[in-house]
Amino acid sequence: MEMLLAKYNYWIYVTLMMIGLYAMIAKCNLMKKIIGMSIFQTAIIVFYVSMGAKKGATIPIIAHGHGAAHEAVRVADYVNPLPHVLMLTAIVVGVGTLGVALAIAMSIHEKYGTLEEDEILERQE
Amino acid sequence: MIWQFDLLILALGVLCALASISLKDLLSAAIVFGAYSFLMCLLWTEMGAVDVAFTEAAVGAGVSTVFFLAAVYHTTRTVKPRRRGRMLHKLVGLATAAGIGLLLLSATVDFPTWADPNSPASVYLSPYYITETIPMTAVPNIVTSVLADFRGFDTMFETSVIFVAGLAVLAILGSYGRRQRDYEPSPTGKDVAHQSPIVQAACRVFVPFMQLFALYVVAHGHHSPGGGFQGGVILGASFILVAISYDLRVMQRRLRERLAMLFAGLGVLIYSGIGAICLLLGGNFLDYSVLHTILPATSPIMARSHGMLGVEVGVAFTVMAIMVIIYVNVASHGKSDRGL
Repeated sequence: MEMLLAKYNYWIYVTLMMIGLYAMIAKCNLMKKIIGMSIFQTAIIVFYVSMGAKKGATIPIIAHGHGAAHEAVRVADYVNPLPHVLMLTAIVVGVGTLGVALAIAMSIHEKYGTLEEDEILERQE
Repeated sequence: MIWQFDLLILALGVLCALASISLKDLLSAAIVFGAYSFLMCLLWTEMGAVDVAFTEAAVGAGVSTVFFLAAVYHTTRTVKPRRRGRMLHKLVGLATAAGIGLLLLSATVDFPTWADPNSPASVYLSPYYITETIPMTAVPNIVTSVLADFRGFDTMFETSVIFVAGLAVLAILGSYGRRQRDYEPSPTGKDVAHQSPIVQAACRVFVPFMQLFALYVVAHGHHSPGGGFQGGVILGASFILVAISYDLRVMQRRLRERLAMLFAGLGVLIYSGIGAICLLLGGNFLDYSVLHTILPATSPIMARSHGMLGVEVGVAFTVMAIMVIIYVNVASHGKSDRGL
């Protein structure tokens, strides 16, 4: 049980990553491949955010305002903000790459009339 | 964090991921993928990553689902059932995924315990950010101060990447720069009124509040979750909502594609321009503290806070414009006429 609680988050990130990777390799439909790519990406984000988690810590916004006590900030009270910053921008860049991927898939569909990989290969010949 | 929650959300997430790659109907797959994104958003809130969760809620569960739906609308909805001869393909895929999965699983043995406060990732560098954000920048939201100040270079180039992604979509699909193609009237002869009036009335009420909220998110990102990325996506989503509930042309009357492109460039210019002003004032590139010489009644510390607000506004401009441009081009197949 100790072992499970210590590591299950990482195991599930590996599972999600494998689902994404499998979809990217084995699925024939381009749209499914793009979904697989997005799942792969969220798996990496899960990994990074899990690294930044701290037991007993709160969100990375320092207590402030009129009622807040002005005492020294304790590092253990706040989760690690650095992975959050990296992943926040990664998500927005991810939607940009998703747009490009969808645009490419749509151009392919316009030219070949299908999104299935094997049919595209047949029609290329 | 509460591990019971965490485990439940993760299990549901894995189920949604499996469902979205195995469903035969691409429309359902896109919607299940939206649900998956929303579960991820809950997961990140639960792990304390509120800014990431906010971004995912706006981007993953919101805008990217709309992009998927638009792309499915213009291509095909069903996945063809597989013919024979795909078995090898599947086996190779399974073997690769399983092999890499096993390697990664064997690596997790060396990982620190999850949520250990003394894990290596949490003892190097990040304590500096946590303790120094208030004394050095007066910004309580550490994510914002790291994003826009301590790692400002990084974010500047991320913004440029989004700008380039918008350009790429235009280059692949778009008709930007060419003369606007002739508008084909819709078969029913109606222009705008093909959507439900209830949706349109609701949209008319929602949109001003959405935009106001987006501006609040941009401006208040220093003190609460949010910032230029989230606010920009919400602002873009408000235009996308108009385009969906009315018509693409109604939206383009408010925000032309050329204007959107101008906004996208302007955002990157604001960001790098603030950096250049710092350079001109004798500081380093993106060292906002020197801005206090030109901003009235500020100290060097408050100047860093104000400089961050400036670059966040730049980020919001670019993100908003690029979301709109990607939607317009994907939804109209580059013709920017009618949309869905």
